[in-house]
Amino acid sequence: MTPLVQAEDLTKDFANGSRALRAVDAVSLEVGAGQVLGVVGESGSGKSTLGRLLLRLLEPSAGITRIDGQDLAALRPRALRRFRRNMQMVFQDPFASLNARMTVGDALAEPLRLHRGLRGPALKEASGALLEQVGLTREHLHRYPRAFSGGQRQRVAIARALASQPRFIVADEPVSALDVSIQAEVVNLLQDLQRSLGLALLLISHDLSIVEMVADRVMVLYLGRVMETADTEALFARPSHPYTAALMQAAPGARRRESRLVLSGEVPSPLDPPSGCVFRTRCPFAVADCAAARPVLRPVGPGHLKACIRDGLPL
Amino acid sequence: MLSTDLAEAAPTLRIDGLQTSFHTDSGIVRAVSDVSLAVRHGETLAVVGESGSGKSVTGLTVMRLLGRTAARIESGQVLLRGRDGRVVDLLALPERQMAKVRGRDVAMVFQDPMSSLNPVFPVGEQIAETIRIHRGASRAEARREAVALLEQVGISDPESRVDAFPHQLSGGMRQRVMIAIALACDPLLLIADEPTTALDVTIQAQIVALLRRLQLERAMAMIFVTHDLKLVEEIADQVAVMYAGQVVEQGPTAEVLARPLHPYTKALLDCVPHGRAAGRMRPIPGALPNPLAPPQGCRFHPRCPHAMPACVAAVPALEQAALDRVVRCIRWREVA
Ligand SMILES: Nc1ncnc2c1ncn2[C@@H]1O[C@H](COP(=O)(O)OP(=O)(O)OP(=O)(O)O)[C@@H](O)[C@H]1O
Ligand SMILES: Nc1ncnc2c1ncn2[C@@H]1O[C@H](COP(=O)(O)OP(=O)(O)OP(=O)(O)O)[C@@H](O)[C@H]1O
Ligand code: SF4
Ligand SMILES: [Mg+2]
Ligand SMILES: [Mg+2]
Repeated sequence: MTPLVQAEDLTKDFANGSRALRAVDAVSLEVGAGQVLGVVGESGSGKSTLGRLLLRLLEPSAGITRIDGQDLAALRPRALRRFRRNMQMVFQDPFASLNARMTVGDALAEPLRLHRGLRGPALKEASGALLEQVGLTREHLHRYPRAFSGGQRQRVAIARALASQPRFIVADEPVSALDVSIQAEVVNLLQDLQRSLGLALLLISHDLSIVEMVADRVMVLYLGRVMETADTEALFARPSHPYTAALMQAAPGARRRESRLVLSGEVPSPLDPPSGCVFRTRCPFAVADCAAARPVLRPVGPGHLKACIRDGLPL
Repeated sequence: MLSTDLAEAAPTLRIDGLQTSFHTDSGIVRAVSDVSLAVRHGETLAVVGESGSGKSVTGLTVMRLLGRTAARIESGQVLLRGRDGRVVDLLALPERQMAKVRGRDVAMVFQDPMSSLNPVFPVGEQIAETIRIHRGASRAEARREAVALLEQVGISDPESRVDAFPHQLSGGMRQRVMIAIALACDPLLLIADEPTTALDVTIQAQIVALLRRLQLERAMAMIFVTHDLKLVEEIADQVAVMYAGQVVEQGPTAEVLARPLHPYTKALLDCVPHGRAAGRMRPIPGALPNPLAPPQGCRFHPRCPHAMPACVAAVPALEQAALDRVVRCIRWREVA
């Protein structure tokens, strides 16, 4: 069976004056129905751009995306608009993603009308059912977003994303704007819905511990490139790329080691990325060969790939 | 702490029964309704809590930087033990004297360095200015010291960075500059209000390591404000947990995290992810209280699994639970 979401060598260049900024560089991935792919990496590593490319909210500069076998580039604008009901996005900021002047009922009615052609009592019934699905009640339909707490607003945003009965959802930092005590309920909700509806979910987060909880597979990005990708358990148990290990050890509360891998310096400018391995300027294990050529993503275990030329590092 | 000398053990800063409110058009926000804390020389106290719990207002009250807001300090004392060992109540100082205390004795670093740096002056000049004001150093001296400070906070090539404008630096470097300004006069106490929240984890790790090193080298007292319990574990000797304007628990970090006494601390520890094996996440039911109308009695009672009628009847007092631990819960003995 082909996976629901497939991307091959997705690349995005943004024009930046006379130079091009490569935000996403030849990323390939697959997400099956009922699967969660976690995408981690620091600010500017291309996570959001990748999500937007997969949903065709951005035109890729190169590469192919297929959803359920359908090449998105082959769809004409009208067909693409119709196809959009299959894929939705949940954003970080539940405050900005809802229109303050629309009741929750109106916010849900819009996609229900557009994508499912519902009207009248059927529309009302479906809106109520959506709210119940995300743990709110029908009474909430008449309220405005400002009457909701942050966690409730994120529930409404999730209900809105579910309205078109999508099969693929990109959740871009869905809980980063929420307080700790509220994050857990939204994470649980996303996970329950994803499982019961068999959704393919791309979960973008800078919080490794949440990704570890929820994702089946994880992809680590740095300056637009995949550094490492593996099944969640394997990645956390045996990180194989120096950047993955450093990211894990930098997270506060990470299992203490005698020698913690601390990265010096900062992420280089994406306008002028280092030659060869883009991570080499911060890598404690870099050798002369790291500057020579871009490391290919190569297997280090079943389904476990890394883009690093060195092996047997003390990570 | 190594020394058992009593004078050494006296806190550098002690906050007693602090209440700060905002009188707004829609009502009174009791942002800080009962905060008592102490932090000693050479020690880091983490103040941890969710948004709106009053962490920043506590820091701003200590610094007396709430001037142009609708804030009113209703009661309490903020006692600073000076270099000469004399204790003064910062809340009772005339503004002219407080201006000298700020920067020289107590300094603050904020979450967003861009809003505290002046965009039109090179960063070196902003560091040098602090040195000139408080220590009356000459221009050339102050500049030399600014370069040395930039080096100390881990900025590479400080001789050329000293002339950079804030927008030419990354978020992590700006935060380093803010730390350099805060440390310029070797303060007794540094208040760092979520200094790494806006930064990436690898940069956060660098800044936390830097603060820890500087704090040890200078034997400063530090108050580190954060919402991240895991960060508390990394940086702090003592921790105070805040909820809805009150300190609900304080004690040595390792003990509080291993054996929390307050149901809120327990719940907060439970709802951070504990890895795949631990199973589902356990959220705290309900929502954060409305600051204009906080719950009666114990402010946590609507979300607390142990609440009973007596919890609603009166605000629990901060009780001494052990020599070095306090807790604000009437059922802490049964709950712990
Ligand atoms: N519309 C745009 N025009 C130009 N450059 C862009 C645009 N969108 C993103 N970029 C650049 O592309 C790179 C990747 O950005 P992206 O937002 O995808 O990163 P991210 O991993 O989502 O970061 P964050 O964690 O901060 O959300 C960055 O260097 C960013 O500045
Ligand atoms: N200038 C102000 N006017 C009115 N209310 C204010 C003002 N500043 C803060 N408050 C209120 O005081 C309470 C405590 O705010 P404070 O900023 O101290 O919270 P915090 O714990 O620092 O939260 P965060 O984690 O979001 O920074 C909040 O309810 C807040 O809305
Ligand atoms: S390729 Fe070289 S520089 Fe890149 S991660 Fe591996 S060892 Fe480090
Ligand atoms: Mg992003
Ligand atoms: Mg704050």
